[in-house]
Amino acid sequence: MPMGPRKGVFPADSNPSIHVGVGSRIALISETHAWAYLLLLPSFLLVLAVLIYPVGSGILLSFREMRLTRPDLGTAFIGLRHYRELWSDPVFHISLVNTTIWALVGTTAQFVCGLISALALNRGLHRLLPGMRLARVLILLPWVMPSVVAGHVWALMLDSRLGVINDMLVRLGVLDRYMAFFADPQTALPAVLVVSTWGAFPFFTLFYLAALQGIPDDLYEAAGVDGAGLWLQFRHITWPMLVPIVVATIVLRMIGMVNAPDLLLVLTGGGPGHATQVLSLFAFQKAYAEFDFGYAAAVSVVMMLMLMAFTVVYVRISGVTKE
Amino acid sequence: MPPSQRRLDRSLDLCTGLLVLAFVAFCLFPLGWTLLTSLKPEADIVTATLQYIPQHVTLENYVTLWQQSDFPTLVTNSVVVTSITGLICLTIGTLAAYSFSRYRFRGRGKLLIFYLVIRMFPVVLMIIPLFIMMRNLGLLDSRFGLALAYTTFLLPLCIWMLKGFFDAIPLELEEAARIDGCTRLGALVRVVLPLARSGLVTTAVFVAIVAWNEFLFAMMMTTSQGSRTWPVGLQLMVGEFQLPWGPLSAGGILSIIPIIIFFALVQQSLIRGLTAGAVKG
Repeated sequence: MPMGPRKGVFPADSNPSIHVGVGSRIALISETHAWAYLLLLPSFLLVLAVLIYPVGSGILLSFREMRLTRPDLGTAFIGLRHYRELWSDPVFHISLVNTTIWALVGTTAQFVCGLISALALNRGLHRLLPGMRLARVLILLPWVMPSVVAGHVWALMLDSRLGVINDMLVRLGVLDRYMAFFADPQTALPAVLVVSTWGAFPFFTLFYLAALQGIPDDLYEAAGVDGAGLWLQFRHITWPMLVPIVVATIVLRMIGMVNAPDLLLVLTGGGPGHATQVLSLFAFQKAYAEFDFGYAAAVSVVMMLMLMAFTVVYVRISGVTKE
Repeated sequence: MPPSQRRLDRSLDLCTGLLVLAFVAFCLFPLGWTLLTSLKPEADIVTATLQYIPQHVTLENYVTLWQQSDFPTLVTNSVVVTSITGLICLTIGTLAAYSFSRYRFRGRGKLLIFYLVIRMFPVVLMIIPLFIMMRNLGLLDSRFGLALAYTTFLLPLCIWMLKGFFDAIPLELEEAARIDGCTRLGALVRVVLPLARSGLVTTAVFVAIVAWNEFLFAMMMTTSQGSRTWPVGLQLMVGEFQLPWGPLSAGGILSIIPIIIFFALVQQSLIRGLTAGAVKG
């Protein structure tokens, strides 16, 4: 299709010669080969300064002594001492186990809720059921909620004296008395996992709904003509189409779960005891409360290595090849 | 269509509807409950028998929050930090995303993947050196410093999103402009940016929501009223008073109102922008 200049899109007075000053100089540079790189330069420099440099010096820091509260100790190179200390730190071992449970159970619960809600919404939208377009927006709301608000909202609902969830569960006969969910080591982690599922499952819904809507209808029609039932259609059409996005979202979500201690920080602070202590929270507390930066950095490096190992192994096992 | 098929369809429709309803209830109930709590007087919140529907509707929690806490300062700080973050990410992000979208150069693919992979670095690992860096630069406990810290995780995301929006603009329009004697810069400013307006707005809203909500960096890097953002302030309120549920709920509601408004305005485009990049891999 021949494309001429369009009215409104491209004003007629755009001859470069009428540009003056700095503008015209940049316009001249924009004609050189370096232009593509020049455009990238600011972002690259910024990422270098606020991301690569911090990560690099964070890794180096894990081999050094650095406590802001103890300047007398200096910042000497101490080799693997922090890592050896970690190995014999019982809290680190508890955190390691809790991080695994937290990330695996949390991601799984969010994935299941996300997949089911996406399938239901997709069918509802497809069959033009009433209210589905609104529901699609409402279901995403928890995902844009700040973790501080999510934390306090649920803390109030699960409160041992004033909690509406306790009240409803007692009325329904599920509980015989109010529970202090966050004070009991048995229920603290599951309770925070429920909150985290509330806040994060819409992330899966968002991506799976988009992917589901991209599957052509005629695939299902053909399968229907061949007499394939709903389960067979899901097994042989829907699921294979979803697999690449499932792998990508699970990796992203695992990274999010392992890295972000926000909810636990607001809800339990790692307690009771160390029942909800995870690595990210452990590292944050070491840095924020004790200013033991070297030790906190070592914990973070362990986390990063775990995530890298998980990602590589998971992507390989799932058999998704890069396009 | 055979009647048995129609009956199956209809009962499946019912299941679908109930399922979606259950999910919507799960998502909205906590927010609705917070709203109700924020409208109750303290005596009705702390009571032996739970009140589901507030019997005395009052705005006193909002008044208390606004007059007796530093909430107005906190919100101002958050607005400033969010705006600076948005400005940095959008200007720098636009340049980079445009380059990725329009030019094929050596190292392009690797750099794109690099901008994706850096999400894997633990936030805590970056917070510590950033804290030291900002302290040395005198940017600790400053709104600009905090905004700069936010670009660590927002700029790469922003570039990916914007690239998706630029990719959707047909190349022919720019080529036509070039034939008419427009420079590359002229084509970017006069042709591409106006067309990408809704994408730019969407990305800006996304960046703003994340920056507005951010808690961990803010907790670490702000120590005084001068730069503290509202999530930190709300969290610290818990320590100061004996669980002020009323004002706390009011604070929660006030802080999520802007998010809900912005999200409602751009949700369609936001969903497209977020998923387009990811569905392609």
